[in-house]
Amino acid sequence: MAAENTKVLYGLYNDEEDLKVAVKAANASHLDIMDVFTPFPVHGLDPILGLKESRLHYLGFIYGATGALFGFLAMTWIFVSDWPTMYGGKPYWSVPAFIPITFEMTVLFAAWGMTITFYTICGMWPGVKANTLDHRITDDKFCIAFDVTSASDSAVDNLKGFFKNTQADEVNIKTM
Amino acid sequence: MNLNTQFVFENKTKTLLIGGMVLGAVCLGLTFFNDDEYHTRFWTNWLHNSVFFTGIAFMSMFFLSAQITAFAGWNSVVRRVWEAMSQFMWVGLILMGVIALGIWGHFHHLYHWNSLDINITDPEAPHYDRVLAGKKSFLNPVWFTVGTIGFLLIWYYWAKNLRQASVDQDTMETTELKYYRKQRKWAASFLPLGGFLSTVFLWQAVMSIDPHWYSTMFAWYSMISMWLGALSMTVMLIIYLKSLGYLEYVTQNHLHDIGKFLFGISVFWTYLWFDQFMLIWYANNGEETIYFNERMTHYPVLFWGNLLLNFVTPFLILMRNDTKRKFGTMFFVALIVFFGHWWDYFYMIKPGARIAAHEAKELAEGKHGGDSHSSVAPTTTEHKQETPAQPAAESHDAAAPAATEAHAADGHTHAAGETHGATDTTASAAHADAPAGGTEHPEGEKTAEHPAAEAATNAAAHGEGHGHEHDESKAFKLGYTIPGLEEIGILIGFLSLFLFFFFNQLSKASLVPLKDPYLEESLHHDTGALIEGEGGGHH
Repeated sequence: MAAENTKVLYGLYNDEEDLKVAVKAANASHLDIMDVFTPFPVHGLDPILGLKESRLHYLGFIYGATGALFGFLAMTWIFVSDWPTMYGGKPYWSVPAFIPITFEMTVLFAAWGMTITFYTICGMWPGVKANTLDHRITDDKFCIAFDVTSASDSAVDNLKGFFKNTQADEVNIKTM
Repeated sequence: MNLNTQFVFENKTKTLLIGGMVLGAVCLGLTFFNDDEYHTRFWTNWLHNSVFFTGIAFMSMFFLSAQITAFAGWNSVVRRVWEAMSQFMWVGLILMGVIALGIWGHFHHLYHWNSLDINITDPEAPHYDRVLAGKKSFLNPVWFTVGTIGFLLIWYYWAKNLRQASVDQDTMETTELKYYRKQRKWAASFLPLGGFLSTVFLWQAVMSIDPHWYSTMFAWYSMISMWLGALSMTVMLIIYLKSLGYLEYVTQNHLHDIGKFLFGISVFWTYLWFDQFMLIWYANNGEETIYFNERMTHYPVLFWGNLLLNFVTPFLILMRNDTKRKFGTMFFVALIVFFGHWWDYFYMIKPGARIAAHEAKELAEGKHGGDSHSSVAPTTTEHKQETPAQPAAESHDAAAPAATEAHAADGHTHAAGETHGATDTTASAAHADAPAGGTEHPEGEKTAEHPAAEAATNAAAHGEGHGHEHDESKAFKLGYTIPGLEEIGILIGFLSLFLFFFFNQLSKASLVPLKDPYLEESLHHDTGALIEGEGGGHH
């Protein structure tokens, strides 16, 4: 969420299809949407909001590749030079036996790396307080929010009219 | 958008496909006449393509049934493609019937357990094979017939009825679920039938080519291979039909979901492939490692090419979201995966069948040859199958032909000298630098009675016989160690046969199940993927 003391005007919708129609209407009348909140991912919402494809998966690939390399090299170092151990007459450098560990390390690195990156980007550290606009948007309401901190009264009325026209269930203003 | 469109099987396409079939027949003829006396190349090609294309039909049915049972709705618009593909099992019945007929009439020598010249399951016979005697109750012509033709009959019956219920649904006047419920019954009951029986089908038709060898992973692995054949075929057919102007309601969202399956199942195939390999590599049990040893030393291009085509390519290309939504890229990957799994079946069938033919020849010669040879034959017979059981990593190093030969001969000396039975673990111990000595085989003592000299002669004679085989098994021997030009021609022939039958079936009903309860969902299917440059979500 934006800076301190942001005044937010938001409308709540009951259905994701209503929400999508409303977002399209907002686009058509060039309204500057601050954000949209939904209790679950709504298919087809991202493109109409003009969001860009996330770059998180590029990092995911790099983390995964790092994990694979780390797993394989660690196994090689441990079982070839650090602590050579003979299992069932196999050579020390037994590549097939390293594959499962390499695989697990790939998954582990990719998963942890992407989780930590995501939380860092969102500023979600332990102890952070939840700054939720309305607790119902985590349950069954679909919300469109506008930043009206420096908006004129007529602009706010215009936005309220927009919510009314698009059948918003409820319209509120909150400073946070 | 008119939903009630029907595919028209044009004469031009028909001519083209008939031309493909003729090409296939010519190539089959070529492999028949330029072949060894058992026509191994001809028969492996026949079996290979029959199993592969029948498997594609079977997996189309299985996949469709699984989706109907799981209430999947996204696929309504492509359902008719799978229904039409599954009907090919009827042709598969005939194709596999030829193999079964060959078993009864001893026309071919694909299966060593079906030896004509000698009775290998008779304890009194000179060529007694204890392992095959133990498997006799399963590896016999009756079971083979049941396990291939019998099961295909059952599957085809189900596929026919499922399609019938689906086609009948189109004629429905009112909205009711009568035919849908029928479809659900056929689909749900097919799952156990297909799942359990396909295992036996694959054991009989493919795994028993290496009759001493067994793997509990085999049926999983080869069934998934069929599945990928079916999926890649589906992708190519959908894109082809779209290019003709049909299936306009199949969008990139549907393609995306099939692409996810293609990607995910490819990774699953690799998982199973590796599972089978690693369990065998780790256990290092002679009668199991022989399978990979044979393929890694004599068929390296086939072996590594398999992984390259079926894992590396789809994994790297389909990893991204947007590649699964592009028709061109998907067609390219599907083509590679399709060829890759055809290659995979070549890899499963060819090496084992060549051993079986070689063995048949040796036995036949031994039988007609001098007394001295037949007296040592039992040992040689067994060790032909139980070639050295060195660790896979080691055989891997020994890729050079010369080294391989030396290695193999070495293995035989050990094997002939030390062991006799089927569980040939000592050979591996002799090779590996294991601290403990090899486990003595219970029968070791018995064989030790053989004079050392005889054992040596035996090994030498045997090595000679092998030398011949090794000479011709260069990694690039077309038609033998990798598919040759005739094989490609035969693939085109069988593919044309499949497509001819497919298009014929497809043209018999509407291209979309008009009254399917999930049709609306399918028409509005959206994966929700956000791809830049696709220009917004106007789905």
